[in-house]
Amino acid sequence: MLILGIESATMQVGCAIGGHEGVLAHVELCRGRRHAETLVPAIEFACRQADVRLDEFGAIAVDIGPGLFTGMRVGIATAKSLAHALRVPVIGIASLDLLAFPLRFADRLIGAVIDARRGEVFYAFYRQVPGGVQRLGDPQLGTPADLAADLLALPGEVLLVGDGALRHREALRDVPRLELAEQWLSHPSAAPLVQLAHARALREEWVSPWELQPLYLRKPDAEINWSTRDQR
Amino acid sequence: MTVLELCTAAATETKAVAAALAALVRPGDLVLLEGEMGAGKTAFVQGFAAALGVSDPVTSPTFTLHHEYDGRLTIHHLDVYRLEHLAETVDLALSEILDDGGVTVIEWGAAVLDALPADYLELRITFGDEPDDRRLAVRVVGASWAARWGRLGEALEVWRC
Repeated sequence: MLILGIESATMQVGCAIGGHEGVLAHVELCRGRRHAETLVPAIEFACRQADVRLDEFGAIAVDIGPGLFTGMRVGIATAKSLAHALRVPVIGIASLDLLAFPLRFADRLIGAVIDARRGEVFYAFYRQVPGGVQRLGDPQLGTPADLAADLLALPGEVLLVGDGALRHREALRDVPRLELAEQWLSHPSAAPLVQLAHARALREEWVSPWELQPLYLRKPDAEINWSTRDQR
Repeated sequence: MTVLELCTAAATETKAVAAALAALVRPGDLVLLEGEMGAGKTAFVQGFAAALGVSDPVTSPTFTLHHEYDGRLTIHHLDVYRLEHLAETVDLALSEILDDGGVTVIEWGAAVLDALPADYLELRITFGDEPDDRRLAVRVVGASWAARWGRLGEALEVWRC
């Protein structure tokens, strides 16, 4: 089964095509923010060059965050509409999992950190397991100081990856036994997305397009008090 | 420091107030606009954007929620009037917009204060006696605007009631 992977949860936007043979095509840009203008032409380019028709896809995979909503809504809307039109299911995978997965051959604990803007980061820690990584606990939203405190409480060395770690490296300066992965690894990528999604597709771990939801870590649940508006 | 009370007698004057204010804004600033329909919130943003070198027409974002204009600074013009839940500000990518290094102007922004940083200028527009008369109340919250309060008063002195 072929899978189209759509990635747009950070500054980077791109897609990949893959299946049991592995990743067949992979297009990615990390410059600019116009995900809406880049994503669909990138999908078209990847399909054309890899000689894959849209109706060959058995599922659409997409990064569901946490990340930047300006990007995520483009990716998730595109994934939902394509899946709906092609009558195939969707597979949503968390951005932090995608950041950590390519580092699964590292010999220490992995911390995936995505820039949440306004001085906050989304983060989670992972340990290696056969064939992949395993997340330790739920993804967190906090300040770089919160992250530094959590890092200090961890035993052993930690490898941090992600644009949040790079942006706030100064705030993490006093954390010992810490290494930061470089920039080209610092955005979740569509290649690990299709690889992880393929494993899930084999187990039929997917949902209908209308069931797919982004991951909200910063979600105030209050209703807006519209006393002024509703008086009229 | 309390509130600056301004009086204008035409939409062009409201735009002139906006232009005077635009001269004091910095990257990352947040401006909240309050006022009934027809009070002149969009007119204010038109004057504000023009003063920052925007040549594109500025229209109300009530139904489109977010407009972006490129001038001397990027201007994010939002209207949260149609939102029901604070969570919808997340879908609107408010955090990313505020962190973009531009100026963010939010119509009805006081309704979503819990989702905003405590550093902003609030402009409340109310109707005056004559059809074109308006009263503009300027209030600032936070250190960044407080530091500009003196210059704000000087820039807006001509319209003091």
